[in-house]
Amino acid sequence: MYRHLAWLSIWRRKTRSMLVIMMIALSLSGLLGLQGLYDGMVSHLINTTIRSDSGEISLYAKEYRLNKSLDYRLSPLSTVENTLSKHQEISAYTMRLKQEGIVATARKSLGASLTGISLEKEQHFGQLDAFVTEGDYSFGKGNKGALIGSALAKKLNVTLHSRVIFTAQDATGEINAISFRISGMLKTGNPSIDDNAVFVSMEKMSAFLNLQESATQIAVRVKDTQNIEKIQNELQALWPDTDVLRWDELYPILIQMQELMDIFSLAFYAIVFVVATLGIFGVMLVSVLERMREFGIMLAIGTPYKMVRNQILLEAFFLGFIGYVGGAFLGGVLLFYMSTAGVDLRAFEAGLEMYGYSAMMYANMHLYYFFQAFFAVFFATLLSVIWPLRKLKKMKPIQTIQGKML
Amino acid sequence: MKLKHVYKTFYPDSPKEVKALTDINLTFEKGEFTTLSGESGSGKTTLLNIIGGLDSATSGQIFLDEEEISAYSEEKMAKLRLHDIGFIFQAYNLIHVLSVRENIGFIMKLLKFDEEKIEKRILELASILQIEEILDKLPSEISGGQQQRVAVARAVASRPKLILADEPTANLDSKNSERLMNMLRTLNEKEQVTVIFASHDKYVLQQSKRIIILADGVVIEDK
Repeated sequence: MYRHLAWLSIWRRKTRSMLVIMMIALSLSGLLGLQGLYDGMVSHLINTTIRSDSGEISLYAKEYRLNKSLDYRLSPLSTVENTLSKHQEISAYTMRLKQEGIVATARKSLGASLTGISLEKEQHFGQLDAFVTEGDYSFGKGNKGALIGSALAKKLNVTLHSRVIFTAQDATGEINAISFRISGMLKTGNPSIDDNAVFVSMEKMSAFLNLQESATQIAVRVKDTQNIEKIQNELQALWPDTDVLRWDELYPILIQMQELMDIFSLAFYAIVFVVATLGIFGVMLVSVLERMREFGIMLAIGTPYKMVRNQILLEAFFLGFIGYVGGAFLGGVLLFYMSTAGVDLRAFEAGLEMYGYSAMMYANMHLYYFFQAFFAVFFATLLSVIWPLRKLKKMKPIQTIQGKML
Repeated sequence: MKLKHVYKTFYPDSPKEVKALTDINLTFEKGEFTTLSGESGSGKTTLLNIIGGLDSATSGQIFLDEEEISAYSEEKMAKLRLHDIGFIFQAYNLIHVLSVRENIGFIMKLLKFDEEKIEKRILELASILQIEEILDKLPSEISGGQQQRVAVARAVASRPKLILADEPTANLDSKNSERLMNMLRTLNEKEQVTVIFASHDKYVLQQSKRIIILADGVVIEDK
């Protein structure tokens, strides 16, 4: 009978039921959206760093990272290439030849790094082409062009097709200069590239530095991120005189940022969780409290307490569940949209870029968000009925009818 | 039913303390048709609520058929109310999500009466109380007088042994008051149902076989 009563109560108070369901659904979708976006901010940062620079694993010659001299380079490359291309668990790799120097225009010069790359390999490795914001993903006719970090271009006040001159020491110790026309601009979200990097063809770079078959970094992408350490150990065993480092060893600051963000995220999430839970709790509590008189009447005319309790619980959990389904659906749509189309925060671009965040943010979407949200609704629903039920059990029916609840 | 030295104090040991009932000693025999009367605030509704187990006495004992019901747990008391007591509240106290038909049949359903028997009884009471037309309406869709008649129908539907009615005629016109009193009187005479009113309505007092007058929580007259 309590099922029938609960159903009548929900059905015959459509507006109230709809309001409760909508409140739960909206709170929940907000909770899911924020969680996904917050998670997405950090993983986007890590992801762009891996794509644009480190890969999951990077190989360097010993000492190179301490003393960025061309004396410490990886060479010859054919054996390494042969091994990496045949490795079952490696999905892509790329080789880079990098030298620090000065990039100059007719009016301005700045410290920068010049990196020789293969466009084809970088595209396969980390879709570097996707980071091009202006111009083409190409080095132009005869490989005379260069791709430049957008922030560096801004500082140098150069535009597409502007000529820049790069001056650096070659492998023999001679100071050389080479000129390029800007063929494209990159915005990766990785400040070490956006603020500092100029990319040219590997062939041009090798010739400029008087080097054959050399690289300063070999970056590797793995098929399954669960296997990073295993592959790292394998490669290290193969080339013991090489530094084989994971992305988190290369960018410990990212890990620190991630940990810091995790703390902020946890605090933020806890606040949002508590606010959303309190919102749901409030709506449910009010919806139960406004009917205490009705429950008092039921008890007064002899309805067993257990039946009233079951009716209240069933109503609350039914509304909570429908609210959860609605909220999960809305939140899922919101997350899907934010994870594919992204959220345009260009209004805050300067501030975000300062911390390495992209102005376009993409949300993450994980199944566990929905389990957490389910827990939030369940918890809030349970909490909202415990107190009224305790009161109802303790109080005399006449007190409940007279509204002496508090 | 026997009440022995029943006291009721609201907000005891506080500045707001109110002695609602003082040393009430009363006996109600089966088949009585009694009215508790007195001025507003005299304690008649409080006494009625205590008799029906809706509220508890601060001290004293209440016996029903020699069994002390004032010591009953709330669960046991709810069972007693369900099986043996019918309530008619001044404020009707209908269940708003249930239709008139469902309100009248509610207690019978709790008592697991046969569906056919429930429907027959609903129609019988609806005819006596002239509420046939509104059986499928919700309480919010009918007038106060109609709600009171529905409340009466609900209270008597399962034929309880005791009916407690708090100002049952307060919202009824004279014609409906007469009809209600006649119905309760018939129940009282034909089925030996004990009826106790809390009222200061002259018509109710005229119809009563016994009148207990309260003043400031004390019985001042029992005739």
